[in-house]
Amino acid sequence: MRAAWLLGLLAIVPGLAGAQSSQFGVRGLGFPGRGLNARVIASGGAFGLFDSESSLNPATLAGVTALTSIFTASGAYRTVENPAGTASTRDTRFPLLMVVGPVRRTGTALGFSYSGYTDRDFSIVSSSTLDLRGGPVGVTDTFTSRGGLSDLRAAGAYRIHDRWLLGLGVHAITGSNRVESRRSFADSTYLSSVQKAEISFAGFGISGGAIRQMGPRFAIAALVRSDGHVNVDRDSARVATIDLPYTFGLGIRWQPVPKLGLATQTILRTWSGANSDLMAQGGVGANNTFEVALGGEFTPDVQRPYRRPLRFGGRYGRLPFPLEPGTEAHEYGVSVGSGMRFAQQRGGVDLAVEPVWRSEGLHSEHGFILTLGISVRP
Amino acid sequence: MKPWYLVLGGALLLGGCQEKLTSPGDCPALCPGGSPQVVDEVLSPIPGSDSSFVGYVQPQAAPALLVSNGLEGFEERAIMRFPPRSDSVAVRDTLRSYTVDSVAFGFTVLARDSMAPGLQLLLYRLPPLIDSSTSYAQVDPAFVPENLVLTVPIPDTLRTGVLRAVVQGSDLARIALTPADSGVLSLGVRLDAPSFTGVRLGASAAGNGGVFLTYATLAVPDTGAARLRTFPLTATFNTSLPAVPEVLDSTVLTVGGNPSTRSLIRFDLPSRIRDSATVIRATLELTPVAPLTGLATDPVRLVARGILSDLGAKSPVESRFGVAIDTVPVGSSATEELEMVRLLQQVWIGESRPAGLLLSLSPELEAASFSRPVFYSSRAADPAVRPRLRVSYLRSFPFENP
Repeated sequence: MRAAWLLGLLAIVPGLAGAQSSQFGVRGLGFPGRGLNARVIASGGAFGLFDSESSLNPATLAGVTALTSIFTASGAYRTVENPAGTASTRDTRFPLLMVVGPVRRTGTALGFSYSGYTDRDFSIVSSSTLDLRGGPVGVTDTFTSRGGLSDLRAAGAYRIHDRWLLGLGVHAITGSNRVESRRSFADSTYLSSVQKAEISFAGFGISGGAIRQMGPRFAIAALVRSDGHVNVDRDSARVATIDLPYTFGLGIRWQPVPKLGLATQTILRTWSGANSDLMAQGGVGANNTFEVALGGEFTPDVQRPYRRPLRFGGRYGRLPFPLEPGTEAHEYGVSVGSGMRFAQQRGGVDLAVEPVWRSEGLHSEHGFILTLGISVRP
Repeated sequence: MKPWYLVLGGALLLGGCQEKLTSPGDCPALCPGGSPQVVDEVLSPIPGSDSSFVGYVQPQAAPALLVSNGLEGFEERAIMRFPPRSDSVAVRDTLRSYTVDSVAFGFTVLARDSMAPGLQLLLYRLPPLIDSSTSYAQVDPAFVPENLVLTVPIPDTLRTGVLRAVVQGSDLARIALTPADSGVLSLGVRLDAPSFTGVRLGASAAGNGGVFLTYATLAVPDTGAARLRTFPLTATFNTSLPAVPEVLDSTVLTVGGNPSTRSLIRFDLPSRIRDSATVIRATLELTPVAPLTGLATDPVRLVARGILSDLGAKSPVESRFGVAIDTVPVGSSATEELEMVRLLQQVWIGESRPAGLLLSLSPELEAASFSRPVFYSSRAADPAVRPRLRVSYLRSFPFENP
């Protein structure tokens, strides 16, 4: 019965939720990714700094006990509103792929991951009237972007007396945007135009994390990350260098009763370092961001914690790239999800559903994000 | 839960992957890089490099014959020569003579002024030896009443189509062919009308030239039977002869005429357009020296073709897609505007060809139209009337601007 319910949800939700294409990813480097697994997203992201199947904190790798590969797919259905109108958008992403595993008898673990750093998938259409050759001519502009920045991480972690978990990661930030600007004219004597370019990005970052286990029910996690800068090339010609943020994270995990785990975390990113670079390029700029998440996991059967856990949470955050100068976009969401392990816990599936709301001035959007995580331990 | 549930569930999830990314754009907030900027620029030809060249289509190769009674201020006549008609026919290995019963002439009217009634073609017999070197003055003495073969009225209701006229009886003597003529019949055609007008007739180059059809009776004495024979002949040579030869003015740009004239116009396309612009409209603007004359209700079609290489008058032209066409009504004195964005975009920029174009009448009108558009060239004293190419283009979009 449970399986049928879950299967029914999987079948229905893609019809409701395609995936995500946010108008708040139009500016700057795009819409930031989170690097979280489905089970962490289900709890609002509150366990992100403690989860070994997310790419946020390299120290979490030390908690891996078996070689594990993780695949995450997400889809969203979103209604976009702005002064130009309203539209429904949907798309699908694969925001996280990971392979992690312990190194035997060393207390260390290694992991490689691919996660979305920023997403620049969007297509916007606008209409206007131009004065051409002394007469009004209606035009329709379509600006389309495909791609974004990806975060390729290689990380290692070390466990010290089951109390300290320390990790270090190096990040290659790479990716490209295929961008296209189309303009069509109401007057057929003007030819429609298409201009295309490929914007590629390359950067390097480093991250370090630690988890301090303070007794069986309480732990603290910390994260520091520096991403340096990213070089921006247009069609192989260098056009800009943009500073990327420092990231600081702090998380707390508490288990008041065996069946319930609670966590919270805060992530700060100094995106304002990119402000001057973006403005020099003609952009609007960038703001520092933070994200606060609070969530929990209720385990009905302590002996079998992977059976029917109920995850829940909420989060609030600010987005780095404003649509207009002097403004700041923010988002909040609530989430719920569950998961299960099977085949002697060699396989697992996690599901999260997260309604989100985002707004900045007259621009807003709301919708659902469905995240499916699959883990395999061969 | 069985693993196959997961596989099926995942397949359903991914099978539901549909992208719909388009949302309304609220510029400038949602327009990275801003909006495409349209630039309007007027280019002038390279000074002194625009010229007219004559002789592309000779009158005898024209797709139509011009006949007028003073439409352009002077008369224009057509002459044609038919191939030899044998004076005997082979029947049962024996050449036998025949008797001409009647003769029919056929002409195709391609264009006329439908508002001018009362037209008629006058057919004159000419000396048989006419060719491309024959001038108006040489044949003018033959256009006398004594040589008039036939008058062919053009019905007022006929706008285009075939005219047919029959000669029979005693009139056949006017076109009797003798051994001295080598069996060759040559005709001259002039137009008679109450007002100054003209007609365009089909020509042999286009396959619809004049037809000379003989109906004969062949007597075969051994059998006592009489056989009817027809001898169809189509003109193998025809041309139009204006009373006043056209003179080419080298200070202006001339198109059309007979023989046909084309004009080569060269531009210096700036690198900012050739290398990095997206051209959305290009209009060649030509200022006529005078209102366009010609046969009313018979407009001309101007054609501009890109050149593949600049060899002056003999520049080969691009005919696949670098063609701009516009129709100009007779009497028009407005600035001629030829939309040639594809010529510029595909030939000049796309194929990196020389930024030149050859202006002519459309092929079916070359050396076959009464109209002869004349435009000011870059040599005109007034810069406002010189040829100009108005180009609208988009600058390279600043995609890198976030």
